[in-house]
Amino acid sequence: MADALVVADGLGKVYGTDIQTRALADVSFEIAGGEFIAIVGRSGSGKSTLLNLLGLLDTPSEGTLHLRGVESNSLDKRGRAALRNELLGFVFQYHHLLPEFSVRENILMPYLISQKPVDDAITARVDETLEVLGLDGLGDKSANALSGGQKQRVAIGRALMNRPPIVLADEPTGNLDTENTEAVYALFRTINEEWGTTFLIVTHDQDIASMTDRILELRDGRLVQDIRNSYTDGGARKA
Amino acid sequence: MLPLRIAWRFLRTSWVQTALIVAGIAVGIAVQVFIGSLITSLQGSLVDKTIGASPHITLADPTEGQPVVYSDFMKRVLAGTKGVSAIVPVRQLNVLYSNNTDRVPLGLVGGEAAQLNLIYRLRQRTIEGDPSLKQGEIVIGSDLAKKYLLIPGDKMSVNSGSGMQVSLTITGIVDLGSSAGNLRTAFVGPDLPRAELGFRADQFSAVQVQLSDPFGSTPIAGAWRGQFPGVKVSDWQVDNKDLLQALSSQSLSSYMIQVFVLVAVALGIASTLAISAVQKTKQIGILKALGMADGDTGAIFVWQSVIMGVVGTGLGVAVGFALIAGFTFGTAKSGAGFPITPQPAFIAISVSVGILVALLSAIIPTRNTARLDPIEVIQNG
Repeated sequence: MADALVVADGLGKVYGTDIQTRALADVSFEIAGGEFIAIVGRSGSGKSTLLNLLGLLDTPSEGTLHLRGVESNSLDKRGRAALRNELLGFVFQYHHLLPEFSVRENILMPYLISQKPVDDAITARVDETLEVLGLDGLGDKSANALSGGQKQRVAIGRALMNRPPIVLADEPTGNLDTENTEAVYALFRTINEEWGTTFLIVTHDQDIASMTDRILELRDGRLVQDIRNSYTDGGARKA
Repeated sequence: MLPLRIAWRFLRTSWVQTALIVAGIAVGIAVQVFIGSLITSLQGSLVDKTIGASPHITLADPTEGQPVVYSDFMKRVLAGTKGVSAIVPVRQLNVLYSNNTDRVPLGLVGGEAAQLNLIYRLRQRTIEGDPSLKQGEIVIGSDLAKKYLLIPGDKMSVNSGSGMQVSLTITGIVDLGSSAGNLRTAFVGPDLPRAELGFRADQFSAVQVQLSDPFGSTPIAGAWRGQFPGVKVSDWQVDNKDLLQALSSQSLSSYMIQVFVLVAVALGIASTLAISAVQKTKQIGILKALGMADGDTGAIFVWQSVIMGVVGTGLGVAVGFALIAGFTFGTAKSGAGFPITPQPAFIAISVSVGILVALLSAIIPTRNTARLDPIEVIQNG
């Protein structure tokens, strides 16, 4: 796939030196722009390890990873941080907002880290994000003053602030009730369709996985299934 | 300047902790400023009291009682030496003051009033009368005046060893800063001793010199010894070794206090920053996950140190000045002690050291932050 956004080729990860533990082995796949993907598997199957590699938070022991044509191993720590800031948005199970800052500042934080000037267009982008997230009027509130669902929406807003082509979400609704869970996935889908953002969502919930376009299933660190959902024929097909 | 913005926010949200460490720095710097200025002023006062009104270098004949010739060459050399603030040729005569009951030995210092003023500061030290030294006039010390109930205008009779007897009118009473001086030293014009000693116009008992920096006397005295062979050149530092030893010990103890205060300040800031780094581990991990570089996350703690260091040091200097003002006011009111003069150079050093120590305290949290793996933070929630 020449225009692939993400290309993983033979990715592997081994932890430890004296006693080695293999967390990931020979994982290869390609992801195009605008895909809506679930990464599923049991605990310890390597989902989070894969997400950390994709998120440039960790480096592979084997194989290569290209993000929009840039090979991750060719970058130093600072280079990976810069690319992470530019290409990736993160949504974690826990919102991980900065309690010292307001809702608006939390959303703006990835942009501030990029050290670009905050002009009217950026302020308008924050307002737009707040509106899309249903957080109008809450921008100046402390992040601590919001409910759990609202906090997670702020975290989503933060992930989208730099308009990254890829959003990585690790069990993003693990701490939310059913109503908020559905709202969050509806939001992801809206953003995916309207902004063309690629979503990679780690989940152990098959119902949620079934709502995505493609499922990558890991078992014992290996990619065992790469399934594309088909809404037209109502079923899933093997890759 | 995102690191600065985040540093400020971290400090503001933990304001009690911030206030405590800023107060700690302020107290440390205030002690520095106060103790440093106190010791320096105390030493200055001690030196001034001890040698402020006496010559720092004295040129005399090696044989006691013999005159030294104050030649044109000597005048030129002394006047041309850098650091010389006063040159006073004097004629000294030992006499006995006689009254109805006692005969008291007195050392008369003879010279022009204006010149004697340069070293002995008679005008500033006058507590009664006017220190005029015309022919037949004498200025005496306060202890002598007190002991024999003498006041300006009184006549006093003095006898020299050769049998000369003169009646002199007291014009002023001065406090020379020591009871020995106040009891045994008196000042007269140049003519009386000269006549009694039989000196020529260019002959004096001694040529007394004061310097703008008393502690610079040794090399100057050494140079003059080479230029004036046959003249005894006395250096106050050689004659006051005990005082110098005491001053040096005092300085050493002052430095020790200051070093320990600085160490305490450094440990205080370092421990607080280390605690802050632990408290903010989650936030730092998130910022790193969002793409903040290690250098920038480390800069957050450097900025915290700078802010606390600058504010704490500024406050400390202000408190130090307040302490100095309070001390000076208190001692002035009680009439005891001496005024403390804030020492700008010393304060500048304290401020620089305070800020430097604050910056050095950021090293450990900065290093720990650089090592922090954002994955640990994310996975541990």
